[in-house]
Parts: sequence; C-alpha cells; structure tokens
Amino acid sequence: MAEFLQQVVEGLGAGAIYAGLALALVLIYRFTGVVNFAQGELAMFSTYIAWQFMAGGMAFWLALPLTLAVSFVGGMLIERVIIRPVEGAPELTVVIVTVGLFIFVNAAAGWIWSFLIKDFPSPFPAGSAQAGALTVSYSTLGNLAVVAVVMGALYLLFQHTKIGLGMRGVAADPRSARLVGIRVGWMLALGWGLAALVGAVSGVLVAPLLFLEPNMMGGVLLYAFAAATLGGFDSPVGAVVGGLIVGVAETLAGAYVGFIGSDLKVGVPLAIILAALLLRPQGLFGRAAVRQ
Amino acid sequence: MSERSEPAAGDAFLAVEDLHAGYGDARVLHGVSLRVGQGEICAILGPNGAGKTTLLRALSGMCRVRGSVRLDGTDLAGRSPDAVARRGVAHVPEGRGTFMPLTVEENLRLGAFARRGRGARQSVADDLDRVYGYFPVLRTRMRQVAGSLSGGEQQMLAIGRALMLRPRLLLLDEPSLGLAPLVTRELFGIVRTINAEEGTTVVVVEQNAHLALGVAQQAHVLETGRIVLSGSAERIQADEQVAQSYLGYRV
Ligand SMILES: Nc1ncnc2c1ncn2[C@@H]1O[C@H](COP(=O)(O)OP(=O)(O)O)[C@@H](O)[C@H]1O
Ligand SMILES: [Mg+2]
Repeated sequence: MAEFLQQVVEGLGAGAIYAGLALALVLIYRFTGVVNFAQGELAMFSTYIAWQFMAGGMAFWLALPLTLAVSFVGGMLIERVIIRPVEGAPELTVVIVTVGLFIFVNAAAGWIWSFLIKDFPSPFPAGSAQAGALTVSYSTLGNLAVVAVVMGALYLLFQHTKIGLGMRGVAADPRSARLVGIRVGWMLALGWGLAALVGAVSGVLVAPLLFLEPNMMGGVLLYAFAAATLGGFDSPVGAVVGGLIVGVAETLAGAYVGFIGSDLKVGVPLAIILAALLLRPQGLFGRAAVRQ
Repeated sequence: MSERSEPAAGDAFLAVEDLHAGYGDARVLHGVSLRVGQGEICAILGPNGAGKTTLLRALSGMCRVRGSVRLDGTDLAGRSPDAVARRGVAHVPEGRGTFMPLTVEENLRLGAFARRGRGARQSVADDLDRVYGYFPVLRTRMRQVAGSLSGGEQQMLAIGRALMLRPRLLLLDEPSLGLAPLVTRELFGIVRTINAEEGTTVVVVEQNAHLALGVAQQAHVLETGRIVLSGSAERIQADEQVAQSYLGYRV
C-alpha cells in the first residue's frame, strides 16, 4: 500500500508538469479555437531564454520573472504577426501554421543553442519530506505548488478582473464582444501571451528533470494533449485534473503493468486520448466536443 | 408617397447618405438614405429578406459599406464594430448575441466594458441598478447562466446589456422575434420608457409593423435593399393601402 501511494505521489508530480502545458493549450483553444501544436516548442524556447539569463550570472528567481515577461510579449507578437493573417481561415490552415511554427522554433533553438543537452538547475532544494512511510521530494511538492499558484492566478484573472471578463466574453461570443466595444484582436493576442507564459512555467519545471535540449518538450506535449483531451479542451480546471490523472496513470502503468515498463509508458497518453475521444469527446469538464 | 417628415440635414442626429452594403459579392443595400433626429424612435419595416438586418449591421460596422453614416457629425462608415460601439452605438443584434455561458450580471457588465476612468466602478453599479429597475426579472436571475434564460428574458438581457453602454444610439433588430405577444408588448413599453427617460435615439427593425409604429415617430419601409416609403408613423399606420401593399399586415 505504501509503495502504491508512493507511486501515486510521483505520478502527481509528473502530472503537475503535464497540467502546466495542458493549461497553456487550453487557454489558446478557448480564446481562439486554435489547437497550438507549437505550444511545447514555445515552452522549450522560453526555457532556453531562462537558461541564457542564468548563464549570464542571473539568479534563478530573477531570471524566472524576466523569462515569463519575455514569453508573454513573445506570445502576443506571434499572435499578431503569424496567427492574425490566418485568423478565420479553415482549421487545417491554422493547424499547419502552428505545425510550421513548431518546426521553425525547434530549428531556431537548435541553431542558437545547439542540440547538445544542457543542465538546467532545479529551483527547488534537493532532498525530500517524510510523511509516515511516504517520501515526497521537494521538487514534486514544488511542482504541485507552482501549478496550484498558476491555476489560482488564472482563476483570479478570469473571475475577478475586468480584462478577464472581457476575455471570457470573447471566448463566448466574439461578435457580441465587438458589439460591446471590446478590441477582440488584442484579447486574442493576450490569450496567446498568457498561454506562452504558462507554457514557460511548465518548461522551466520540466527542464531540471529531463535536461534542456530542443526536443525536450516533444513527449511532454503528447501527455499535455492527453490531459487536455481527457479534461476537456475548453476547461482550464479540466486541463489540470486531466494532467494529474495522466501523470498518475502513466506512473502506475510503468510500475505495475509488467510489459509496459518505462519504455512503453508513452503508449499511456495515446490510450487515454483514444479512450476519451471514444467515451466522452467533450472531456470530463468540457462543453464542446473535440471535433474529430 | 415619398413625403418627407424628417429633420433637415443640419440637425439630424443620425444621417445616412446613399448607403450601399453587402456580404462579399452579394450586394444587399442599394443606396439607402435616412435621417433620425435626436431623441427620436425610427422604425424600419419591410418583408423578410429586405435588408433590414443588413442596414443595422451597416450602421454598427458589422458589414462592409459604401456611403456615409454620420452620428452627431462624426463619420462612422468603415469603422470596426468595437470602434462604433465605443462611440456610443449599442446594437442588439438579430439572435440577441447573448454571452451564453456567462451569468446575467456578467453579460450586463460586459455591456459597460468600454467605460473607463475615475468613477467607472460606481457608475457601472448605478447603471446595473437602473437596468434591474427596468427589468426586475433580471435581478432575480443575476447569478444565473444567461443561456438558461427564456427567450423573452434573453431579449431583456440584450437590451439591458445595450443600455449598459450608455448609448447615444440604440439599434434593435426584431426584438419581438419568437416572443409571446404579452412579452413583446411589455418590451416595447420599456423601449418607449427608455426613450422618454433617457432621450436615447432608437432605430428599431420590426416585422411586426403594428407594434413598431405604436412607439415610433417616423418609419421607413425597406424592400429589396431600397427605401420605398418614408413618413411619420401615424401616416403610415393610417394608410390602409400602404399597409396592404407594403406591409401585408392586419392593422
Ligand atoms: N451573412 C450573410 N451573408 C450573405 N448574405 C446574407 C447574409 N445575411 C443576409 N444575407 C442576405 O441579405 C439579404 C437581406 O437579408 P437581411 O438583411 O437579413 O434581411 P431582413 O433582416 O430584412 O430579413 C438576404 O437576401 C439574405 O440572404
Ligand atoms: Mg432580419
């Protein structure tokens, strides 16, 4: 039993990271209806920016807010410059643009920082807390805390600020949003900026676990897709819950299902995506069904 | 039958001149001109497909236009809908445009989104009270999701949301559509009250000519994208033959 609980806790720690990226995916999908395949690569690029700041001698807790600010502005710029021209184009066109962005950002990171792996420091102390028979590493606790903080901040933004209300208005009905005087274009850009910021947080959490390299987010993106599909592509709460479930499912499968082991673990998100699409296409918390 | 009872060009609050509008290649309005004085209610009548909705969309920037739309001297033609809204034009669109997943009160607050500056918080609270005063049922439903309201309540919400903009010009697109006669009459009563109490200029599109003519000072009949008849509301109401041929209704 203790062993099982231990695995669950590890899974939650991993799940917190998937939840972060899933949250970024869901933010963009809700506000713009775009499934952003480049979300993971943007997060990776942000992580490199943080690395660059620290390579210049900056302390982590200073580099982080700077990185988040750069990511936010970068996300807004990408919307304005790259996504705006294809706004309203058929879905496939937009998907292809984000796939193109994926390839471009990946190549740009390789070109700037090379494909050699880099160490990325963990913001949390080494070691672990002991609770009875359970051992929980500080980094697992830290990851969970960070995702909780991000979630709380987004909740405050959307439910208790005027700008958040405006963003929800745009998500609900862009045409009516224009009729009440909202500059919808700026709100969409804001959505991309926020998503890039949240994605950057997940990148910074992933990097210490996986090493920093241009392809680091590929697998994480897959898990994040599973999380978002499971939770509901238009539900931030769903993204977080979905992320945690995916993390636990993956860890438990790796530990207890004999033939899966750590190599085949990647099959878990695929199985979850498939099951969610078949059984509950709108996800656990979502409203709109994911169109197949 | 082209008798003019409109204000002269100089003192018209809303002046529309030779307005053309459409969607892509489809041209819908072919040179519409009309004037509305400040504080007046103007009814736009006409059969289905005449272009009434398109005319309101053209006024609020929702479709491409050629020609001129002047509100109190400012040219609105070619501006985006959000820019037009920020200049005081509130459009209650066909279909009501409710923010379905949001609560009633959030819908109303969004109506005042463009308001800013000192005292905005207090003035929004005051206006919420005012709207709840016109539509008490909305107060009882304020925490409810707007999508759960009945058709009549959604129409009240749409008008309330428009009032939150503190409009100088209110555009209403078929407020009676799909509503029970009793609800419709109540709604038109409130439109008249708003017009009287706040001096808001109103352009209302209706298929139910009888109702619209009851509150309007002047009316225009639109047919296939052209104004075919203009006059004071009484005059159009009184003219049986007009009613027969253009409005096809039972007075
Ligand atoms: N979004 C649109 N795209 C293309 N054509 C449209 C659109 N909306 C309306 N139309 C066409 O414009 C004409 C006028 O429509 P509309 O303005 O809705 O008339 P009304 O409101 O008087 O019933 C109709 O022939 C209609 O088919
Ligand atoms: Mg219409």
